[in-house]
Amino acid sequence: MVKMSLDAIQVMSGQVKELKVSPSSNGDTRGSWEGKEEFDPNQLELTAKPKPPKPENAVTVAVSSRVLFRTEREQKVFEQKGVEEYLRYQIEHENEPFAPGPAFPFVKALDAVNTRLRELYPQSEELFDIVLVTYNHAHVGIRLINTINHHNLFIERFCMTGGSSPIGYLKAWHTNLYLSADAEKVREALAEGIAAATMFMPEKLTEVSESQLRVAFDGDAVLFSDESERIFKTHGLDKFFEHEKENEDRLLDHGPLKGFLEALGKLQKKFYAKGQRLDCPIRTYLVTARSAASSGIRALKTLRAWGLEIDEALFLAGAPKGPMLEKIRPHIYFDDQMFHVEGAAEMGTVAAHVPYGIAQKYNSQQKMSSGK
Amino acid sequence: MVSTVTNSDVKQKDVDQAVVVAVTFAAVFGPEAEDGSTVYRLGVALPLLQVLQRVNERLLEKNPAEHQLFDVILITTDSWQQQQNSSIINSTRHHGLEISRFCFSTEDNYIESLVQNNVQLFFTTDGNEALQATHQGVPSALLDKNSVSCPSEQLRVLFCEKAIIQPNMGSTEASKKSAQNFLAHLGQMRQKFGVFDSPLCFTLVTSHGGKDSCCCALKSLRSLGVSVDEAYCLGGAPRGPILSLLRPHFLLSDGFSLLEG
Repeated sequence: MVKMSLDAIQVMSGQVKELKVSPSSNGDTRGSWEGKEEFDPNQLELTAKPKPPKPENAVTVAVSSRVLFRTEREQKVFEQKGVEEYLRYQIEHENEPFAPGPAFPFVKALDAVNTRLRELYPQSEELFDIVLVTYNHAHVGIRLINTINHHNLFIERFCMTGGSSPIGYLKAWHTNLYLSADAEKVREALAEGIAAATMFMPEKLTEVSESQLRVAFDGDAVLFSDESERIFKTHGLDKFFEHEKENEDRLLDHGPLKGFLEALGKLQKKFYAKGQRLDCPIRTYLVTARSAASSGIRALKTLRAWGLEIDEALFLAGAPKGPMLEKIRPHIYFDDQMFHVEGAAEMGTVAAHVPYGIAQKYNSQQKMSSGK
Repeated sequence: MVSTVTNSDVKQKDVDQAVVVAVTFAAVFGPEAEDGSTVYRLGVALPLLQVLQRVNERLLEKNPAEHQLFDVILITTDSWQQQQNSSIINSTRHHGLEISRFCFSTEDNYIESLVQNNVQLFFTTDGNEALQATHQGVPSALLDKNSVSCPSEQLRVLFCEKAIIQPNMGSTEASKKSAQNFLAHLGQMRQKFGVFDSPLCFTLVTSHGGKDSCCCALKSLRSLGVSVDEAYCLGGAPRGPILSLLRPHFLLSDGFSLLEG
């Protein structure tokens, strides 16, 4: 394994990419459901409480109740005693707020960015919009609303589907990112083209910034497709290096979280435009097992061609990611391999698993560190 | 002069305990119904009629002696329709609709019929009819072409703000009381089934208010005995896409509070 010095490398940006705006994917919209105007223009004036933005203008992040809050006790009731008892328990404890879950610091940080954006652009709807999406029955609704109020979270949209799949609603709300505790639902979302990841509660939580949102991404099978990972898994490390060298100038295909990074980038540029590059409350990181001098080049060239800026790119050349993440302290780290997710969690980083690509076949078996 | 005719094909319900709903001629039979034929084609109310029947079946499965069932009346609302009485009865029997009675009334006295028959919810395709009935204390619901694509296995009721249905559909004290009565019945029917596999599903959609408005509605409905299954707080987001996913059979906005305005 070649040891490389772990220097942070700034990536120069190219053209500004437009924020992804997916057209409504619900087929025919029935005119009569629309009724009168959707928006009363008078209601768009700023009142004491800010108005939530229109979904197509905002960066919509959907979180499930199980990752936003800690609901282990209630989960146990559900598993051991069934759904009726579970709902009865929830109603009985309606006035007890839930404790914060793994996605909580991330959501708080999104809120902090929104506050800064509103200061600079009071009329803009290009903000983060957080939606609570849960399979729970509306019986749990009052407890969830009480909890949101207790923690002072700015969440004005939610979706309690009472058991049916929320995928249709995710699409209707132009969701840019979906976080859930359930891998099955995350897979369903990914299959529909929605960036999604499974979150876990780490045993200890390192403190993260309350004023700067930090998001870290793995490269292959997260930002990029898993094409190179396939080569590595089937033919080994040497073949991987050879393949990457030969294809250095050919762009990698995009992965499931490229769109989210793009959305973050667009918001970052709004701060740069007002001279706040150094003080930007959003910071992005690439944390990859690729090596800076060899296989990493293709990753950088791809990002540049996509016009995506990433603030820090860390090429670990196969070294464990845990210690580096512990230094960065991201609010969330996306990786396609459970091995890395667990490693990060051990050191207190909130890591989310993106169940995409070839690594899913190897997740259970792979326990050795992989060098690239 | 109003005449009421029993449909001998259908077992009559216990008038004291049944939940009486009325559906207009124009909703049961399609607009082509006025071409002089004696057997009318079915209109936008078909899925609703089917699903009300389904709920009754499931209730009787649970308890064969159940009396709290939906009791459906067909009502005519103008003189021309009133004169088609035999064709109406024929067509109803032909299609095997579970309609227990017919009220042959005109535009002048149909509301009186509704009141006299203890109708708890009046289904119509005509906005004016709905307005007038509500003013007289009979809760109303509008049916339209969207009603056609609703499921027939599960009755989906949507609770929402008044503004969504008809901005000027004011409610009176009388209609509010009747609405609450109806909601209580719905709640009781729902209680007879478990969380999953229920033939009734209640959904709350708050379009403009925030989470506190939604919370208020949930509590208000709960105090009437209605446990909502699904809740969507839109916070100003367009409701079209969500409504087309939910496919409710009808919308209700009276009888519970929502912190509107």
